Amino acid sequence: MLEQTKKQVGLYGFTGCNGDQLTIIHSEDKLLEFFQSAQIQSFSLAKSDNVESQLDIALIEGSISNHEQADLVKSIRSRTHYLVAIGNCSCYGGIQAMDLGAKGWDQRFRTVYGDGFLNSRTPIESKPVDVFIDVDFYIPGCPIDADQFFYCFSHFLRDSIPVFPDYPVCADCRWRENDCLLLKGILCVGPLTAAGCKARCPSHNLPCLGCWGPMQEANVSAEFQLLKDKGFSIEEIKRRFRMHTGSGMMKPLKKILGAL
Amino acid sequence: MREIIVEPLSRVEGEGGITVRIEGSKTKEVSFDILEGTRLIETLVVGKTPAEDVSITCRICAICTLSHRYAALRGCEKALGIQVPPKVHWMRTLMHMGEFLESHSLHVFVLALPDFLGYPSAIAMADEYGEEVLKALALKKYGNRIMEVTSGRMIHGENPTVGGFGKYPDKDVLLDIQKQAQQMMEFAIYGAELVAGLDVPSFFESETSFMCCEPGNGEYGLVGDEIRISNGEVVEAGAYKSLTNERFVPHSAAKHCYYKGKPFSVGALARLNNLGNRVKDQAGELYKKYYSDRWLKNPVFNNLAQAIEIVWCLEQIPRIVDHILEIEQDPDIIAPGQKKGEGVGAVEAPRGTLYHSYRIADGLIAEANFIIPTGQSLADIERYLGMAVKGLMEQEADDDTIQRMCEIIVRAYDPCISCSTHSVHIDRRAS
Repeated sequence: MLEQTKKQVGLYGFTGCNGDQLTIIHSEDKLLEFFQSAQIQSFSLAKSDNVESQLDIALIEGSISNHEQADLVKSIRSRTHYLVAIGNCSCYGGIQAMDLGAKGWDQRFRTVYGDGFLNSRTPIESKPVDVFIDVDFYIPGCPIDADQFFYCFSHFLRDSIPVFPDYPVCADCRWRENDCLLLKGILCVGPLTAAGCKARCPSHNLPCLGCWGPMQEANVSAEFQLLKDKGFSIEEIKRRFRMHTGSGMMKPLKKILGAL
Repeated sequence: MREIIVEPLSRVEGEGGITVRIEGSKTKEVSFDILEGTRLIETLVVGKTPAEDVSITCRICAICTLSHRYAALRGCEKALGIQVPPKVHWMRTLMHMGEFLESHSLHVFVLALPDFLGYPSAIAMADEYGEEVLKALALKKYGNRIMEVTSGRMIHGENPTVGGFGKYPDKDVLLDIQKQAQQMMEFAIYGAELVAGLDVPSFFESETSFMCCEPGNGEYGLVGDEIRISNGEVVEAGAYKSLTNERFVPHSAAKHCYYKGKPFSVGALARLNNLGNRVKDQAGELYKKYYSDRWLKNPVFNNLAQAIEIVWCLEQIPRIVDHILEIEQDPDIIAPGQKKGEGVGAVEAPRGTLYHSYRIADGLIAEANFIIPTGQSLADIERYLGMAVKGLMEQEADDDTIQRMCEIIVRAYDPCISCSTHSVHIDRRAS
């Protein structure tokens, strides 16, 4: 009877490093449980016998960087009840979208590939998946955190919606009694970044790079001013703000700077 | 016309495919296609600091994240004239071995082994090979733990940075890692024996060339400033372009690498073929027991070579931990003394030699070039695929058999396709 109620789940990787699917594979103890808890219909990084059918839950890793991927992600959307973006590339476009909105992608493409690009795909500048389809839930991180993922996934299996912390990395950092790197004059974007990573970098005496994406209520202009007062150049601040979440930082930066 | 198209190819990292087109009794096309989306990482690091570059380029790939980070660190530090102290060196060696254990055990036991035992996945193998699957996962987990302890996270850990480490692990954690290496040994040897017992078909065998880092001091190792080629030549890593001449070939979307006009292979098999007689202890015993001249002709032995490297890593780890613990004082991160320079960092990624080349000006990356292992082996992969298809046609094999053999060959190389988008790279100076 339980067999019949198992959710049909598909995992799909688009453009990125596969780090989010790999985080799931890396959860050795939970991996077999993960495969038993649901009907894993498609997970081509892990298995060969994939079935492309109607799904209850689709988990999407990676950004969309060609027309073919855009078509595929739309077709997945059309046959799934619930769709979750996992990882920074899927949620925000990832590092490959750090310059999104700034001009020059065509030129950069030619710099790397010349005019000789013969791949059967039609490339576009990398974008987050929600540019193309509706996303029901976002699990950010570069890569995602296994604990956060399994917490969310067990909610999805029971048709409930997980609750995420609404505070930045700084809160996690404080709980770990780390010294504040900003006070030491180090460019840290912890105040702008959603919690979930267990403040890993500041706990290693290294600045937060923002790989969890922006915290929704963050005061971007205050951090911008603070860093400027500490002597960092606008160029430097902008670069760091955009590195992991180019698309997520477009709006607030435009507000502060006018142009990107 | 018969067409066998495998897309996406499962149980490999990234989006790739195999295309075989047969007309009558002739093969019209055999290709291994890189279908991964474009990311333009080499242009994204321009204008970034070396520390930022390291954080960006490790994200080229999740499986070999620390190899990318290590190659980037070596390239940037060479360009900036930074020489790291011994404790940093040993920590990096340990993190690199953690990645080899993670990547090799994932590839050998989870991704490749199901082909030979006739299963769609390692999960499906669990009923009959439950203990093997669990122990392989435990070995992988151990590799992951080393990566987490040394780099700060299983994937894309930021702790190894330009000039050193943000933080050093506690002594008891390192001692535990040391102890665990010995506990993992029994299964690692059993695993190598298991892989050695698999039937490796021989009908597509043909000699090729192999390249890997020359670690120096007559030792086996995973980094080096020179590259050793199987014909006996040793070349400076800085001259990587002459080793990896990239060019377009008419039948394929991806650019291929050739050395002196011929395809070559990189990876565990290349390392053991070039340096295997330097391997000592139990790994050395396994090498001696199973090495044959078929290793020079058949890429499928890469699975066994990786299994032997797992044993080698487990034997090295306790010694490396001792080296780290011998130095009590944690060194500070070394700041660069200069703001410009050029440097090439070469390391062995689990699947072969990886180059990160930089020009730095005003403290920022001015130019970057990355040559990744799968791209270097690509021409050889297709050559072996072509020979396998031809051989199977002579045996009048059906499509399923041809597909299965092609997948075994491609998977044996442990291709990393996220990295391989670069294999369509154009040499800017040549264009």
